[in-house]
Amino acid sequence: MPILEARSLSKRFRRADKASGFKGALKHLVQRKYKNFTAVDAIDLEIEPGESVAYVGPNGAGKSTTVKLLTGILKPTEGTVRVMGRDPHTERIANAHDIGVLFGQRTQLWWDLPVEESLKLLKHMYGVPEADYKARIEKFDELLGLGEFMPALARTLSLGQRMRADLACALIHDPKMVYLDEPTIGLDISVKDRLRAFLRQLVDDGTTLLLTSHDLADIEEVCERIVVIDEGRIAYDGPIEQLKAHYITTKAVDLVLDGPADVGSLAEKFPHYEWSAGEAASEVVVTYESARFTTAEVLGDVTAHLRPRDLSLSEPSIEDVIRRLYAGELTK
Amino acid sequence: MTHTWAVDRALAVVSLKRRLAYKANWVFAIVLGGGSMLANLALWHNLIGEGTLGGYDWDAMRAYLIISFFTATLAFSGSDWEIADRILDGLIAVDLTKPVDFQRARAAEFIGSMLSTVPTAVLGVVGAWLLFSPPGPVSPLAGLLTAVSVLFVFPLAFGITYLSVLVCFWTRRYLGIMWAREALLGFFSGMLVPLALMPAPLQALSWALPFPHFTTTPSHIYLGRVDTAGALGLLAAELAWTVVLWFGGRLVFKHAVKKVTVHGG
Repeated sequence: MPILEARSLSKRFRRADKASGFKGALKHLVQRKYKNFTAVDAIDLEIEPGESVAYVGPNGAGKSTTVKLLTGILKPTEGTVRVMGRDPHTERIANAHDIGVLFGQRTQLWWDLPVEESLKLLKHMYGVPEADYKARIEKFDELLGLGEFMPALARTLSLGQRMRADLACALIHDPKMVYLDEPTIGLDISVKDRLRAFLRQLVDDGTTLLLTSHDLADIEEVCERIVVIDEGRIAYDGPIEQLKAHYITTKAVDLVLDGPADVGSLAEKFPHYEWSAGEAASEVVVTYESARFTTAEVLGDVTAHLRPRDLSLSEPSIEDVIRRLYAGELTK
Repeated sequence: MTHTWAVDRALAVVSLKRRLAYKANWVFAIVLGGGSMLANLALWHNLIGEGTLGGYDWDAMRAYLIISFFTATLAFSGSDWEIADRILDGLIAVDLTKPVDFQRARAAEFIGSMLSTVPTAVLGVVGAWLLFSPPGPVSPLAGLLTAVSVLFVFPLAFGITYLSVLVCFWTRRYLGIMWAREALLGFFSGMLVPLALMPAPLQALSWALPFPHFTTTPSHIYLGRVDTAGALGLLAAELAWTVVLWFGGRLVFKHAVKKVTVHGG
């Protein structure tokens, strides 16, 4: 049975439609006009217990709105959501006991209090027994280095510290379902690595995770399934590996030659491969269909005619695939 | 202590700590509140002199102004901007993911922030008492009922403030609402001018509103301007307003929460 089930989930907002300038503002005062815009458009989504799902899309695609619908913050315009059998909007308080939420751009720390005070207050809110609270704080300290800034006022924390503290706040009650909306936004690479390792551990421990992020490394390292949303609709939903297998059909070998590369003659000699110039004059890239040729065959052909000083293999990243999905070049 | 009460207490304590974290602000409130009371006392002393105004002689007016200072300090000290800011900048999204009743949690925070001004109010009253020696309550029972009336100021102030803050869901601005509320409260409560000095229709209008219970009700009971039955009637009305505002807040929030539009992030 899915832990989360959304059916035909839609959210429409009303926006004031007024012309710019003082005249436009005055006109809107006497003759109000509004436009509806659809943030989430008839989404169907099911998440099984223990799944780690990446929910990605370009800015304004409806990711955060979906998270707010799934967490019960917003009331859907149409459709239904059930999380652990409950409607998260009408049964908000009961639902909140079982979920953990982190909004990367909004802190849940009490701004002018030490981090420790915020965590203790959340302990009261969720009714976490003292022994469990202590054990979790120890775990967070070990994995997130929480101890170093527990006594610090929230407003004095660096962004990385703030995010780690917020993550602890979202998980202090050991929720079954966790929503993380841009958890690594603005963080440096070392903090990102630390957070990703922590999230991997969380998933390994059986927590169900829905993650939105613009950082595709977060997704590849933490999630098994990816849902791509664009203009409020799901463009792709499936395992990340399947997405790669389905859409990543070519591979490339980057060659560094001793002298300038003649792309034209190479293309004539090996017409079944695609040749292009590299960044430097002595570099050339050969691209081939991975279903037709093995890398060994390509390397055999190439090295029989060329003496590359260096070579490296590459394949399009998940980022390239998603970029093409956003651009509408690929369809499910 | 049940879980819910423990959460209320924790929220109130956190709110109180947040207020006390800004010590300069706290000292400023004492100086400003105390100064305002002294100015009022001087003004009314000049106006009344040896005579009476609206049935208040200088003795009664001293007590009235001190009670007014006490309740005004409490009434204007709640965390209204904190609630409004959360609605306006979208942090309400975070509040709605917590397993607590939104209104009850805000009430606990509000009362915690009000408690931070109790030392200011007490200090001001003690200082004024030593300087001006106002008369005591007409009877011990009147003193007790006055204290009960002042206690009701806490939920009453929350009820009015909360309802007014919820208007932000529609207006998307708070400053004007706050000014309007404070003007209505100051005028119709009798904090600015005792209701007895107002024309009869305005007095009638005031008593149809919850505002007089902030200042006029406790001072009426304290000074014996109503008998025990009248005092109990006023307390019943104060309690009724507290209940009406609480459930009114629930009703408005139920509609307001549908207006939540937290765009981006």
